[in-house]
Amino acid sequence: MAQAAFVLWLAVTLAFVAMELAPGDPAQALLAASGATAEEIAVRRVQLGLDDPLLVQYVRYVGDLARGDLGVSWLHGRAVSRVIGESLFPTAVLAVAATAVGVGWGLTLGLLAALRRSTWLDTLVTAIAVLSFSTPTYWSGILAILLFSLRLGWLPSSGEGSWRHLVLPALVLGFALSGSIARLVQTRVSEVMNEPFVVAARARGLPARQVILFHILRAALGPALTVVALQFGFLLGGAVITESVFARRGLGKLVVEAITWRDLPVVRGIVVFSALVYVLVHWVSDVVQAWLDPRLREELV
Amino acid sequence: MIKWYKPRRRPLLRQPVVLVALGWLVLVGGAALLAPWLALGDPVVVSAERVLLSPKADFLLGTDMLGRDVLARLVWGGRWTLGMGLVGLGLAVGLGLPVGLVSGTVGGWLDVVLMRMVDGMLAFPGLLLAMATIAVLGRSIISVAVAVGLAAAPAYARVARSATREVRAQPYVDAARAIGSTEGHVMVRHVLPNVTAPLLAFAATQLGWILLNGAALNFLGLGVELGTPEWGAMLADGRGYLRDGPWASAFPGLALTLTVLAVNLLADGVQEATRPR
Amino acid sequence: MNRILAWCVLLSVVLIGCAGPSSEERGVYGLTLAPSGIDPHVNASSELGIPLTSVYDTLVYLDPETGEFVPGLAERWDISSDGLVHTFYLRRGVTFHDGTPFNAEAVRFNLARITSPDLASQKARFMLGPYERVHVVDEYTVQIYLSEPFAPFLDTLSQVYLGMASPAAVEQWGDEYQLHQVGSGPFVFAEYVPGDHILLRRNPDYAWGPTVYRHETAQLEEIEFRFFTDPATRSPALETGEVDVMGEIPPQDAARLKSNPDFRIEPVPIPGASLMIFMNTERPPLDDVRVRQALLYATDRQAIVSTVFRESSPVAHGPLAAVTLGYEPAVEEFYPFDVERAMALLAEVGWSDTDGDGVRDREGQPLALDLYLMGWGHMPEVGQWLISQWAELGIAVNSQVVSYPEALEVAAQGKHHLIPFNLSGSDPDILRQFFHSQAEFNWSKIADLEMDTWLETAARTLERADRVELYSRVQLRVMDGALVIPIRDYVNLNGVSNRVQGLGFDAQGWFPWLIDVTLSE
Repeated sequence: MAQAAFVLWLAVTLAFVAMELAPGDPAQALLAASGATAEEIAVRRVQLGLDDPLLVQYVRYVGDLARGDLGVSWLHGRAVSRVIGESLFPTAVLAVAATAVGVGWGLTLGLLAALRRSTWLDTLVTAIAVLSFSTPTYWSGILAILLFSLRLGWLPSSGEGSWRHLVLPALVLGFALSGSIARLVQTRVSEVMNEPFVVAARARGLPARQVILFHILRAALGPALTVVALQFGFLLGGAVITESVFARRGLGKLVVEAITWRDLPVVRGIVVFSALVYVLVHWVSDVVQAWLDPRLREELV
Repeated sequence: MIKWYKPRRRPLLRQPVVLVALGWLVLVGGAALLAPWLALGDPVVVSAERVLLSPKADFLLGTDMLGRDVLARLVWGGRWTLGMGLVGLGLAVGLGLPVGLVSGTVGGWLDVVLMRMVDGMLAFPGLLLAMATIAVLGRSIISVAVAVGLAAAPAYARVARSATREVRAQPYVDAARAIGSTEGHVMVRHVLPNVTAPLLAFAATQLGWILLNGAALNFLGLGVELGTPEWGAMLADGRGYLRDGPWASAFPGLALTLTVLAVNLLADGVQEATRPR
Repeated sequence: MNRILAWCVLLSVVLIGCAGPSSEERGVYGLTLAPSGIDPHVNASSELGIPLTSVYDTLVYLDPETGEFVPGLAERWDISSDGLVHTFYLRRGVTFHDGTPFNAEAVRFNLARITSPDLASQKARFMLGPYERVHVVDEYTVQIYLSEPFAPFLDTLSQVYLGMASPAAVEQWGDEYQLHQVGSGPFVFAEYVPGDHILLRRNPDYAWGPTVYRHETAQLEEIEFRFFTDPATRSPALETGEVDVMGEIPPQDAARLKSNPDFRIEPVPIPGASLMIFMNTERPPLDDVRVRQALLYATDRQAIVSTVFRESSPVAHGPLAAVTLGYEPAVEEFYPFDVERAMALLAEVGWSDTDGDGVRDREGQPLALDLYLMGWGHMPEVGQWLISQWAELGIAVNSQVVSYPEALEVAAQGKHHLIPFNLSGSDPDILRQFFHSQAEFNWSKIADLEMDTWLETAARTLERADRVELYSRVQLRVMDGALVIPIRDYVNLNGVSNRVQGLGFDAQGWFPWLIDVTLSE
């Protein structure tokens, strides 16, 4: 607990220092184009507390957080929790959809490769897997738009609103995720097939299909889920590239906006949120592993 | 029919895939290095007369929306993209390796503090870290390299730490200590040689990650100077012209994908070549 | 594998089947920015005005045809002879969408809200200029006091930022009011999901529209607004029928759409400051007017307009767009593209290429300029053109892309030689934001006391002809002193489906009068 608090404090402080070093004055940025005079901008600066000594600003910045107050966005003029919440929803939708695609596709590929070891299929799957995490989503996304939206006209190229808008980004992002899952499943299944309990099961005469389903898959699922959990946590941080290519809103865009406008309360909120996700994801992956692998469960208990 | 599988270990240069990947990297890297002496068009000068020409004899890969030769920009762009990747990797290894080695060797409270700092970095959103770095340093390719290098360093520290701990748990390290070797001696004689292989493989994987994400920052318009023929920036420039000139964004993307692919295949090759029996 | 293929085919069949046509009653309008907030009293974005101009009524309206102010929620108004007191006689029988009656107290409430420091208004407050206080005379008469005369005041009051909101709704929703806005206009604010969409529904009871509206009530039942922040996605969204109207189509897409019989481009010239590059007159070598003039002569604006903007917007010649009130056509005589003259001027100042490296130098220093630009509004493309054009004359340019807040800081510190920028606005008082010595956007770093006086006087002068005369002097002075390189006037290229009729825009050029829009199948 103390260590988690230390990690959080470190991350938040890092954000404060970086925003302090970065050029740009939030009050001026907000008001200059509206015809506000220099005095009026100065008044706003005082209002936002930007004229206080740095130490005072920092204490307030950490102190608010310690009291659980995320504050009000300077740019949006609304509670940071609401601003983040509104961006989180579309990000979460995309993250879930992309993870589903990635797991489905990755599991299929990985199993195929492991069960047909050293065949052309194995080679092909390995190639697809490496290709998937070598392809920038900002390129595959553009190609997908070019093909499915502009040439074929099947799907909308961008934006949100219906599940049709979700298809292309989820496929593109899911494909990018699938490679590492496929490889993990492939390796793990190959290993498991040499384990004594699988060999024993086969010796008992269980059909291959059943062996795969009950023993191999179960053993392979653990590490795969760990990767999925880590990646899901990463996606929740905002798949900014995919959001940008498909013009979706989400946390990634919020991050860019908050930094661009030096919106310190939102930056702090995002840092806190990602730290929580980070801790949560690691905890979840530990628990899942333990649940799937009885040996570990005993260790943990 | 399920075949029982045993991992094989093959020397790096006996793997055909690795040879192809190396070939591509040598081609791209060589072209980038030799760009000034190759018979190429100008990568920077704009021209109203040849805006968005499709690929043909004069311009093998076409021209972009400002009338620049895409092929020339791709070749010159290799300098920026690959250079950015190498600098970023150097930073990631330069920061991550010492921290990981020290943390894995010394252990105790120092290990806890260092690893919590690594956690702090990892818990910090990567994009925010990169943008903040660029905001502080100003926009340039160096800032991009620093940003992705910083983002990659904590993961490297982690891997270096666990590799170190693994080696140090081996019986021969205990034996070395038992016969009176100093910590420094153990580090140089036993730990370093044995962590090199996994750390090399991981470095190659990270290079792929750094290339992808560095180019991504440029794609988002956060990095390079205006008009720089960096691949990610070229992709972003061409994106508004998908209808009239898809080649302006398709080719830089292809070059980047193939390069990252080659790097990742190389990483696999290293892993395969050094896999413990 | 075959099964996957089969799923793909099935999926695509389903997808195609889902793309049905929308009805005659419902339009979809593509916006280009997802604003950080859309409360017109609080937020500053232009995008918010596109839907909300039809949700709120304003006290007066500016007729874009005549340039005259016409009655809105105010039936008529007087301005005291000293220009300090505006008296508005309000229309009776107006109700907000929630049933709250509109009256003088509502006007007072709105002005008090806008000017309250707690609201932290980002625009509306500052548009009011020397606003002092508001006084309710009787139920339908209200007076606004200014501390000094302010010529753009009616222009301010005609804009959505000063739209009249229902006091009851504002009180009810507090900080979350922007999600539940209530006005008295031809459309009701039905739904807003930030960043996703805004939905307006017809107000059947609307009966107090200004004369600039051609219909009594709205012709469409519903209008949905969706955001298309990425320029590359706008024309596809229009072509695939996702939207009926789309603002700010990129020029290259507009050129293609023009040849498509199902769509048309409705270009709307936007008044205000043209896209111009500010030259820092304090920083050598641009402190010498001849060098600045040389840059103007060396710039082939026509080539930029032809390639970057595909001829979709006119070349700019001065600091004001040609459609702005008070535009001085004499600026068009200045600085034709003339490389010879540019070279002669540079040579005259002593800049020549003595070491043969292709860059001019003087006393061992190369002629290198720092250009900062923001990544939007085609500025990067324009910048690359300039760099290329000037390189031929031996002028080196170091360019750096910056965000808007960074640009403000760079400019405030005078680290730049050149920064492009533009702002829109229907009143020529916008010049004061750029060329007054104390202005926030005085990026030319000019301190011309005479020009300060002209700008201040013009802002206080209510007689239009006198103002125009003063602004004419300012524009000529700006070009005489070679303070900026004008590039182009802003033209909003609206992509419109041919089923849309009756789309007209207000005097700002940004805000459509949705009441008159009709759709056909």
